[in-house]
Amino acid sequence: MPHFLIHDKKDNVGVLIVDVKRGQEIVGVYLEGQGEVKVTALNDIPLGHKIALEYIREGEKAVKYGRPIGIAIKDIKIGEHVHVHNLKSLRWGSLSRR
Amino acid sequence: MVKPTVKGYIRENGTVGVRNHVLILPVDDLSNAAAIGIERLIKGVTAIPHPYGRLQFGKDLDLFFHILSGTGANPNVAAALIIGIEDKWANKVADRIAETGKPVEVFSIEGNGDLKVIERASRKAKEFVQFASERQRTEVDLSSLVMSIKCGESDTTSGLASNPATGKAVDKLIDYGATVMFGETSELTGAEDIVASRITDENLRRKFLDIYREYVNFIESQGVDLLGSQPTEGNIKGGLTTIEEKALGNIQKLGSKPINCVLDYLENLPKGSSRLCFVNTSSAGAEAVTLFASKGSVLHLFTTGQGNIVGHPIIPVVKISANPKTVKAMPEHIDVDVSDLLELKIKLEEAGERIFNYTLRVANGLLTSAEILRHEEFSPIKLYISA
Repeated sequence: MPHFLIHDKKDNVGVLIVDVKRGQEIVGVYLEGQGEVKVTALNDIPLGHKIALEYIREGEKAVKYGRPIGIAIKDIKIGEHVHVHNLKSLRWGSLSRR
Repeated sequence: MVKPTVKGYIRENGTVGVRNHVLILPVDDLSNAAAIGIERLIKGVTAIPHPYGRLQFGKDLDLFFHILSGTGANPNVAAALIIGIEDKWANKVADRIAETGKPVEVFSIEGNGDLKVIERASRKAKEFVQFASERQRTEVDLSSLVMSIKCGESDTTSGLASNPATGKAVDKLIDYGATVMFGETSELTGAEDIVASRITDENLRRKFLDIYREYVNFIESQGVDLLGSQPTEGNIKGGLTTIEEKALGNIQKLGSKPINCVLDYLENLPKGSSRLCFVNTSSAGAEAVTLFASKGSVLHLFTTGQGNIVGHPIIPVVKISANPKTVKAMPEHIDVDVSDLLELKIKLEEAGERIFNYTLRVANGLLTSAEILRHEEFSPIKLYISA
C-alpha cells in the first residue's frame, strides 16, 4: 500500500493515507494513471495531511486537484509538511492582513 | 437491465416519501412546551422544537414560513399538527401544508392554555397516528425520489474518497431519474467557477454567480473573512489548509451530470424531470439539511472526514466516511465505510455502488445511525435579527 496519494499530474503536494514519521522513505501514487513518487518525510505527518513533492518557494502556489489551493508564506522543502504554518488561502485572509 | 425500485409512501399529491412521520410543528418558541407535551403522551409522533417564530419580518420571516411549511409538506410526513401561540401565523403555515392534501390541524394557545391544547391536540394526534399507521409502502421507481447531499467536518479523505464515491452514486441516482440537491454556497469558494461551468443554461449560470457573490459580499461586509471558521478547526485538524482546497474536495461529490437547476432561499423545486440542483444554503450541517428537507428532500447523503454526527427529525441522513481513524473511533455514527477506497483496496465505482445500494436500503426503510441515535436537528436558517 502506498503512503500517499496525488490527485493530479500537475500537483506539487500529496495527501498521506497513513501516519508517517520524520526520516521515513515513503511512496505515493497518482489517483488516475500510472507512476509513483518517492520522497523522504522531513516531519512527523498525520494521515490526511499534505506533503510537498517539489520545492515551493515563498510566494509560490501549492497545487492540488491541478488547481492552486494557496500561497506559500515561507519556503517549503520537498518532504515537508504543508499546512496552515506555511500555506495561506489566495481567496480569504487578505482582510486580516490589511 | 432492470430498473431499480424502492418501496415508498405515495402521498395525496403524488410525491413520494421514505418515512411516515406524524409531525407536531410548533410555529414559535412559546409553543415548544405544548408540542413536547403531546409527543410525551402520544406514541408515534415527532415534535420539532426550535427557538424562532416571534417578531421576525421581511425576507427572514418569509424564509421561516417557507422552512416550516416545507417541512410539514415534505412527503416523509403523513399528517401534521400545527401548534402556535396565536392562530394567524399557525393557519398560514397549516394552509400551505394542506395544499398537499395531507391531514393538517391547527391548535392555538392564547385563550386556551397549554393543558387544554395538549389534551385536544393529543386526541387529534391519536387519530393522525392511526391514519399514518395504515399507509402502505408501494413500489416506485427512483424518478419519484428527491434527495440531497452535503459534507461536514470534512478532511482530505473526503476529497480523495468519500466525496468522489458519493459523486458516482449521485450520477447513478440521476441516471435513474432522481433529483439531487446540493448547496453550501460559501464553501464553493475556490471552485465556484467549476460549478458555474457545469450549469448548462446561461441565465441559471448568471443566477448562481449572483447568489454566490451576494453571499460572499455579505460575509465581507461584516468586516471579517472566514479564516478561523472556513475551514473549521476540525477541517484543519484533518489536514485541510485553505477554503479553496476544501471547496475542490467538496465538489467531488457532485458527480458529473450537468447542473440544471439553481434555487435561492425562497424558491421551490420545479416539478418534472430529474435534476441536479444548486440550493443557496449556509454550509452549517443542520441548517443545510433542514433547508433541503423543507424543499422536499426525503433522504440525505452526508459525507464526513473527521466525524460530523448530524441528523434530521423527518429525513434519514446517511453518514459516509473514508477516514479509517474516524470509522474506527466512532463507528456508531457511520453508515457506509469507504475507507478501503482510500487504501486503494477497491475501485471508485465499487465504492459508489456501495453507497447507491445503501441509499436504496435506507429508502426502503432501513434506519440510519442518526435516526437511531436520536439526531433530530431542526435548525431553520435565520437571516437577521428580529424586530
